[in-house]
Amino acid sequence: MESDMVLRLVVGLALTFGILAFAGRRMAFLVKLARSGKPAVGRLTDPTARVEAEAVEVLGQKKLLKWTIPGIAHVFAFWGFLVLGATILEVYGALFIPDFAIPVVGHWSLVGFLEDLFGLLVLVGITIFAILRLRNNPEVKGRWSRFFGSHTSGAWIILFMIFNVVWTLFLYRAAQYNTGVFPFMDGGAFVTEIVAGWLEPLGETANEWLETIGIWLQIAVVLLFLLIVLHSKHLHIGAAPINVFTSRRPDALGPLLPMMYNGEPLNFEDPPEDALFGKGHIAEFTWKGYVDFMACTECGRCQSQCPAWNTEKPLSPKLMIMNLRDTMFAQSDYLLAAKGKHPGLGEFDEAALNSLSPEVRAEVERPFIGSREGSDHSAEDGYTFDGHRTTGADLPIIDEEALWNCTTCGACVNQCPVDIEHIDHFIDMRRNQVMIASDFPSELNGLFKNLENKGNPWGMNASDRNAWIEEVDFEVAVFGANGEDTIPADVDYLFWVGCAGAFEDRAKRTTKNVAELMNIAGVKFMVLGEGETCTGDPARRAGNEFLFQMQAAQNVEVLNEIKATKIVVTCPHCLNTLKREYPQLGGNYEVVHHTELLNDLVKAGRLTPVNKIDKTVTYHDPCYLGRHNKVYVPPRELVKATADTTVEMERSGDRSFCCGAGGARMWMEEKIGTRINQNRGDEAIATGAKRIAVACPFCSVMLNDAVTSRQQEEGRAVGVEVVDVSTLLLNATKA
Amino acid sequence: MKIAVCVKQVPDSWAEKKLRDGDAILDRAAVEGVMNELDEYAVEEALKIVEANGSGEVIVVSMGPDRAAEAVRKALSMGADAGIHLADAGLEGSDAVATSYALAKVIDGRGFDLVLFGSESTDARMSVVPAMVAERLGLAQLTFANKVEVAGGSVTIDRVSDNGVETITAALPAVVSVVEKINEPRYPSFKGIMAAKKKPVETLSAADAGLDAGQVGLAAAWSKVDSFAARPPKAAGVVVQDEGNGGIAIADFLAAQKIL
Ligand code: SF4
Ligand code: SF4
Repeated sequence: MESDMVLRLVVGLALTFGILAFAGRRMAFLVKLARSGKPAVGRLTDPTARVEAEAVEVLGQKKLLKWTIPGIAHVFAFWGFLVLGATILEVYGALFIPDFAIPVVGHWSLVGFLEDLFGLLVLVGITIFAILRLRNNPEVKGRWSRFFGSHTSGAWIILFMIFNVVWTLFLYRAAQYNTGVFPFMDGGAFVTEIVAGWLEPLGETANEWLETIGIWLQIAVVLLFLLIVLHSKHLHIGAAPINVFTSRRPDALGPLLPMMYNGEPLNFEDPPEDALFGKGHIAEFTWKGYVDFMACTECGRCQSQCPAWNTEKPLSPKLMIMNLRDTMFAQSDYLLAAKGKHPGLGEFDEAALNSLSPEVRAEVERPFIGSREGSDHSAEDGYTFDGHRTTGADLPIIDEEALWNCTTCGACVNQCPVDIEHIDHFIDMRRNQVMIASDFPSELNGLFKNLENKGNPWGMNASDRNAWIEEVDFEVAVFGANGEDTIPADVDYLFWVGCAGAFEDRAKRTTKNVAELMNIAGVKFMVLGEGETCTGDPARRAGNEFLFQMQAAQNVEVLNEIKATKIVVTCPHCLNTLKREYPQLGGNYEVVHHTELLNDLVKAGRLTPVNKIDKTVTYHDPCYLGRHNKVYVPPRELVKATADTTVEMERSGDRSFCCGAGGARMWMEEKIGTRINQNRGDEAIATGAKRIAVACPFCSVMLNDAVTSRQQEEGRAVGVEVVDVSTLLLNATKA
Repeated sequence: MKIAVCVKQVPDSWAEKKLRDGDAILDRAAVEGVMNELDEYAVEEALKIVEANGSGEVIVVSMGPDRAAEAVRKALSMGADAGIHLADAGLEGSDAVATSYALAKVIDGRGFDLVLFGSESTDARMSVVPAMVAERLGLAQLTFANKVEVAGGSVTIDRVSDNGVETITAALPAVVSVVEKINEPRYPSFKGIMAAKKKPVETLSAADAGLDAGQVGLAAAWSKVDSFAARPPKAAGVVVQDEGNGGIAIADFLAAQKIL
């Protein structure tokens, strides 16, 4: 017995130190790699929110539970592993002392019960995962599987290893039970007892050996699992909690991050020589970017929601992140050698470059963003269904087509269980394409010129901004018309009409409706008229941060000068920029969307819908009102107040499907795949609703196009109209 | 390969333009100035030729008030190497003949292989300056190009006109004007805008350029504006109410306008 214990200890420790040596090296490498990133700012501010995020999203698994079945399976596996931490302690104790028990609680039946219960639940969890993977087999379902492009074999190995962890656990525990050294001899460990019943007939010696062998196996399996984790997408076990802790709180939606230099906002007037403008190489990402890439679990939730991927375009947020991660690892020699000193702007750290093997050097010098047109790798963003990168050194790493496909709808960010900040990365790469490479879709040329010369995306004259006022039969106060130099105190709201609201026909109707409704309700408002210019949203989302900064600075100056405090808008993009982005430039205003204001007016009895529409209405959540700014309820309440029957589309609320116009896509051609607006329009039509209510000028145009194009076909979408929520309300209010 | 590109700052094409009361000259100060759109194509083409050639230099030449320096900067931010800005109060009111004289004076003797123009300016829309400059320099003129190829000491263009496309070749140096179908002008990158701030711009007065003051300016113009009047406001259109006779009413209207 004594010598058996020595053998048990020696083999156990040898296994441990042998494998830990490898694991330790890998861990040190990963930490160094992450630290080689450029500095990130504000990642530890507001620690309370961060601890809370850790509690809710990591321990509470909140985002995983957005999807019930896979969510529960993951809760089992995750909590199982936390609880099984206790058994690791026990197994190492048993290396030294055969009847080891954790001090104080070590013999409590409850502890034994929980350990066994969670061991079992882990098995249930991985069974569910296995079934999900079989039913969603990317080899069969192609791009319609959320696992398309994820590492399939790696995932199966992980599931198999977890299975091994569990069975070896019960093996040694049952043998311990039979030899009488088990800490929970008094009951509780119900699974162990069952398995012990099976092993008991083998006899005492056999059980003694099974105990020792089981312990070795358990240790070996756990350590091998660790090693595999460190080399696979399962790295998320370690990276995800760090990523959640350092993520943008409350989420990476709404405002985009300003460009920084040495922890300060970049001065565009006189930028430092070595400032970077966006990301044009993997070495230009921050450490937070690298942790993002390490944290991706390849779960494909983002991909399953992405409007670009769902309309057969190359972009998948998951494949983008995987591609960045593969690139980070492929170039890790360079990243480690350059230690964050990569100069960027097409230059390299020469010393680091010269230290590389020819293969790595070729990868480092490979074009980062560019066209893959004409190659076989364009459609699925250069990945096979089972996670192999198919693009060689002859092709750019990031497909520009995929990069420009993004509508910045935020579905990916909203879904991601580990809080990866996809949009920020994509916009950073667009910034490089616009401000440094000057290589972007040619349609944006016109947009930028119109914004620069005319202050609006359509290139209309500022003098036409008030054209809508002539089409209404009530007085509209225009700022400055009576010589005022600040907004008079009796004005409730500055009505920010927006470029669409002033120049685009459908949106103009919304403008007039909202003005009329405010007029009816006795809300005093004033418009800026010719003083308004584009908020800068399209420029910013198209990567032209320089132009955005100029436009935003000008608007903030005007708004501060006239002492604007409360602003109402009809465009969710204006809302997002004025309310969430202008504070970055010193503009702080109380901004509401018209659906919020109108809903308040209805609730307060200042507007009374008397004439409800007798047709079914469905409401489409605009990305920048819903996901980006969490306004889901007021427009729905308004719709309910004006219509007898309403119906929801399947993809609604925070899972609403983009209309295709965001991210400056409104001004780009949609050349690949099917049309995003048609996809959404068809979904709305399929509800049978006769009115599709929208709350965004761009959604309005996009969905209207989709409906009209269906109406060209005989008997389809008959009588369906796309209307702004305000139109419904106005019609209902006027008897 | 040394290329001159002549650019002009024009009032924003969509803005409302006015003539000045006193001298009937376009009031440039009252409206936003932008670089003549067609000149952007010329700058782009020059940059492309130099890029294809592997080496060379693109010099922007502009005549105009102080503010026209913005157009020069714009071209520099697109990638041109240096600028020459001819600015002199005495040049105000110059007509096409005087402009061509001034530009030719600036360009002459600087060793350019090619002089590029946009085919017209969006304010004056005469399209004659490139031809006049060529004449004054004694160079071949190849105008309205929608394709330019420079090879082995000569330049070949596809010249578009209402009658079709002609292919024309001339020995360098030569003067070429381009139409907007020729390329897609690049949008200046921020990097380009920053770099442009440091690029050299030579500012010349009329005297520096050796101009004879009697040949430029309003006084030397070959035509005079005697009087002008604002365009009358657009009359309200005719609304035809369809009471079963809509088609006939429209046909009558068109016939009255001599369209039918
Ligand atoms: S923001 Fe929307 S379009 Fe862009 S990658 Fe994410 S899901 Fe796709
Ligand atoms: S949702 Fe997040 S973790 Fe899942 S694949 Fe997408 S980026 Fe990776």
